[in-house]
Amino acid sequence: MKKSTLTLSSVALAALLLLPGQSPRAAGLDDTIYTFLQVEQLEHRMTDGTDVSAWDVNAWIGNDDHRLAFKSEGEKPAGEELEAAELQFLYRRPVSEFFDINVGIRHDLRPNPNRTYGVIGFQGLAKQYVEMDADLFISETGDVSFRFEAEKDFLLTQKLILQPLLEMNVAFSEDTEIASGAGVNDLELGLRLRYEIKRKFAPYVGLHWEKKFGATAKFAREEEEETDNLYFLAGVSFWF
Amino acid sequence: MQSKDGFSVIKILAAGTAAFAMISLAIMPDAMAAAGEPGHGHGNSSGGHMKMDGGQHGGGHHGNMGSIGEPGKAAEVTRTITVMMKDNFYEPETISVKSGETIRFKVINKGEALHEFGLGTASMHKAHQKEMAVMMEHGMIEVDRINHDRMKMDHGGGHSMKHDDPNSILLEPGKSGEIIWKFTQKTKLEFACNIPGHYESGMMGPVNFK
Amino acid sequence: MKTSILRAVRTAALSSLMVLAITSTSAFAGTYNLEIGEGTINVSGEDQTALTINGKVPGPVLRFKEGENLTINVTNKLDEDTSIHWHGLILPYQQDGVPGISFPGIKAGTTFTYNFPAQQSGTYWYHSHSGLQEQAGVYGSIIIDSKKREPFRYHKEYVVVLSDWHPTDSPQDILSNLKKSSDYYNYQQRTAGTFFDDVKKMGLGAAVSDRMDWGDMRMLPSDIADVGGYVFLMNGKNPKQNWTELFKPGERIRLRFVNASAMTYFDVRIPGLKMTVVQADGNNVRPVPVDEFRIAVAETYDVIVRPTENKAYTIFAETMARTGHARGTLAPEMGMAAKVPGPRPKQLLTMADMGGHGGMDHGSMKMDHGSMKMDQGKMDHSAMKMDHGKMDHGSMNMAKGSHVMADGSVMKGGAHKGMNHSGQGPKAKKADPFYAAGSGLMPKAANGGKFLSYADLKAFRPLYKLRKADREIVVRLTGNMERYIWTINDTKFSDAEPIKLRYGERVRFKFVNDTMMTHPMHLHGMWQILDNGSGKYNPAKHTLSISPGTTVNADIEADAEGQWAFHCHLMYHMASGMFRKVVVERKVAEVAR
Repeated sequence: MKKSTLTLSSVALAALLLLPGQSPRAAGLDDTIYTFLQVEQLEHRMTDGTDVSAWDVNAWIGNDDHRLAFKSEGEKPAGEELEAAELQFLYRRPVSEFFDINVGIRHDLRPNPNRTYGVIGFQGLAKQYVEMDADLFISETGDVSFRFEAEKDFLLTQKLILQPLLEMNVAFSEDTEIASGAGVNDLELGLRLRYEIKRKFAPYVGLHWEKKFGATAKFAREEEEETDNLYFLAGVSFWF
Repeated sequence: MQSKDGFSVIKILAAGTAAFAMISLAIMPDAMAAAGEPGHGHGNSSGGHMKMDGGQHGGGHHGNMGSIGEPGKAAEVTRTITVMMKDNFYEPETISVKSGETIRFKVINKGEALHEFGLGTASMHKAHQKEMAVMMEHGMIEVDRINHDRMKMDHGGGHSMKHDDPNSILLEPGKSGEIIWKFTQKTKLEFACNIPGHYESGMMGPVNFK
Repeated sequence: MKTSILRAVRTAALSSLMVLAITSTSAFAGTYNLEIGEGTINVSGEDQTALTINGKVPGPVLRFKEGENLTINVTNKLDEDTSIHWHGLILPYQQDGVPGISFPGIKAGTTFTYNFPAQQSGTYWYHSHSGLQEQAGVYGSIIIDSKKREPFRYHKEYVVVLSDWHPTDSPQDILSNLKKSSDYYNYQQRTAGTFFDDVKKMGLGAAVSDRMDWGDMRMLPSDIADVGGYVFLMNGKNPKQNWTELFKPGERIRLRFVNASAMTYFDVRIPGLKMTVVQADGNNVRPVPVDEFRIAVAETYDVIVRPTENKAYTIFAETMARTGHARGTLAPEMGMAAKVPGPRPKQLLTMADMGGHGGMDHGSMKMDHGSMKMDQGKMDHSAMKMDHGKMDHGSMNMAKGSHVMADGSVMKGGAHKGMNHSGQGPKAKKADPFYAAGSGLMPKAANGGKFLSYADLKAFRPLYKLRKADREIVVRLTGNMERYIWTINDTKFSDAEPIKLRYGERVRFKFVNDTMMTHPMHLHGMWQILDNGSGKYNPAKHTLSISPGTTVNADIEADAEGQWAFHCHLMYHMASGMFRKVVVERKVAEVAR
């Protein structure tokens, strides 16, 4: 799908949903539109091999009932080209007290060749304050994959917070061109310790471990890449 | 009656009167103290569970024994003062007396709530306020009536907490009554209503000695 | 000759009678001018911009006479719309000051003139009803002097306006922060540190299962106040600035407490001085001597104190969430100060405050108009019973001989009496029946004495004759803390139908608090007659605080035609949806077809 079509459709969607007069009554104080931008991860990961810089950003605009969201994550090995870069444009709305549904488009700028996917997923706060995000991706090539993320904040003090994180990617069919095998592609575990200087600004340190499995691991070895990496990291997180 | 029997009768009568007089003299101080401190003088016996016997609450009060005055005799009344009780204030706002005077207070409750007119020192009133709060809590007095059944109720120990001191009068709306009081010496006295909140709302005034 | 003299005398008599008649019927009429604009406030160490009324925060004390015809000119010197709502006043709905309900609001640069008679007496207040301006400083107090003699007398009186000011975040930022991170201001969360404390206190198993219970509900037991970081003010002064007023020992002083804050409940006490509550929400009540009282947002309480010693007293208003305090002084001379008490331990909600709603599943974030069927026929909840669900009703039977709190008539199974009162005698302290049994917010006087309860409020003179309500409307207080959406019956204001009342009927509002926060519910234009078991002496209030996990009933006599606002007075709750329009109309006879 062309990038221009992508942008156009998102804007159209936005306009449609946010047009006043769509709702039967005049928008009141409780229908206020807010904007949110969060750089959840902006970090440098260090290891014996090649260090990596990584980011994880998300944003949204909307009111209680309709939101347009944007997500992006990516990695760039030190001294090399961008390795992974993903953009998601989503329409989000609440489906239960604690969960939202996301529907939209994901476009990967890296790896090459670029891929565009349809996205449908759920995100929210599960019991015990575990933040969860589960998404189903349908590639333009017809390949279906699934991603699951979970993280939780443990307060050591009011400002020092320990956050374990888990991400798992599963593909249901092989997509050789982007070195993605069928089955569990990879598993990431993270442990970040952040200090909230202010609620909206927190530097952090932590550990990040990732492992590739099965066919994906095979592809990686063929490229002479590591399949099992542990990094020590430092970064900053902020939102407004 | 034959004279012989008549004599014995007279003897008996005389002995009886003497005995009565002695007994009266003996218990009079207690009665006066009880009357003088509305704090514990509810009826003859101090309400059992409140342990209101003269001894316990005595303390400083016994020192004032008699100083706030005493129940007066109708024959010695020099003046009548009419006191209106309203919600929540008195008319008049002050009372003037002369030391030694016996005054009849004609008290009329013109309000819609239960009110009291009592004579005593500020600390006596403070103690009485505590008791009236308990009476309200126990349902013996309500906002606009006296619960006579509860008043007579035995609270254990064979005592009851009735409100019948000579220096105070508790009246339901529309009712009236009187107190005859002799102001024996100049003291710092107040007249007050000790129903919870009434004193604090200003239902009190000074007894000024001329 | 005689006849002419007689005639003259007669004319003179008649004319003087006429003059008398005219002057007594022509009510006093006053004109007042208020200007809303930007100004400065300095309560956090530096000059900051606030929205002011006549240049000040709080605005001027407005003093009216009962019966006076009021003309109040409100000039808007801001760049945006504004408004002034007269909180607690009975008036024609067009004068009530709520944009979109009473009138379109006051446009920038214009003046709106309010005209209405003062139909009542007592202590009230006024504030902006536009946007979040109230938090920024647009509030002030009202005193209406009574025509009749009041049932209490005093030598001096002072207004005590309690409020909250945020030194760093604007009201818009506060709401925005809460929307994006609902625990943004909660710095009293449970940590590893508190976990170890809990383990020491209750053992590992209990500590873990307690964490799990709250985690399952996705709620924080320390979530008592949504907003933190406030500076608390007493008549516009912070605790150090120490608002002070004078008394002569032995004098009775009337203190008119107004809670003009946006989000804060205060527990008020004057160490060393007993307070006698004589008025609540502007209406006289039977006097109640207390050591401490809790004043909810938007409520007013008038108390009489009588300091007898020649020393200073601290007026201490500690927040219910124990996050700080407002403070002032009563002294025989300026410059004196008394000891300021230290903070009490932080309170935590308990499972009792959840009202047995562990795992409250509101599910319906959808706009479900089905649940709005409120005025369909009569919901026969048998208005005689007071459904307290979670409350302990040991002594529900009002049999004779049971120790019942003195009340007038035995009306409905007036259940707010004798709750934990096992009749043991004067020392048994009764838990406040307007809090869930075992609530973490149960009020306790700091000195162990008497804490005012709604159960203690009895109307001095009832405003209305007692009669049975014609029907009942269930008002569930609901909300989603995570998303910071607060609702009534799971529906936001912009998604809801108005509540329709028929002029002349008496409706029972059954408030059911399904959340774990206290909500001060305010109805404009009409009184909420709280059913606290006092029968005809049930007190009339304009603001009713409903504690978590409880049910409270109040009757409304719908005697004010028009449309009225009805909302939670926690400003950010109101702004996020906990609001309704109440329409009182005369039902027109149906035309036969």
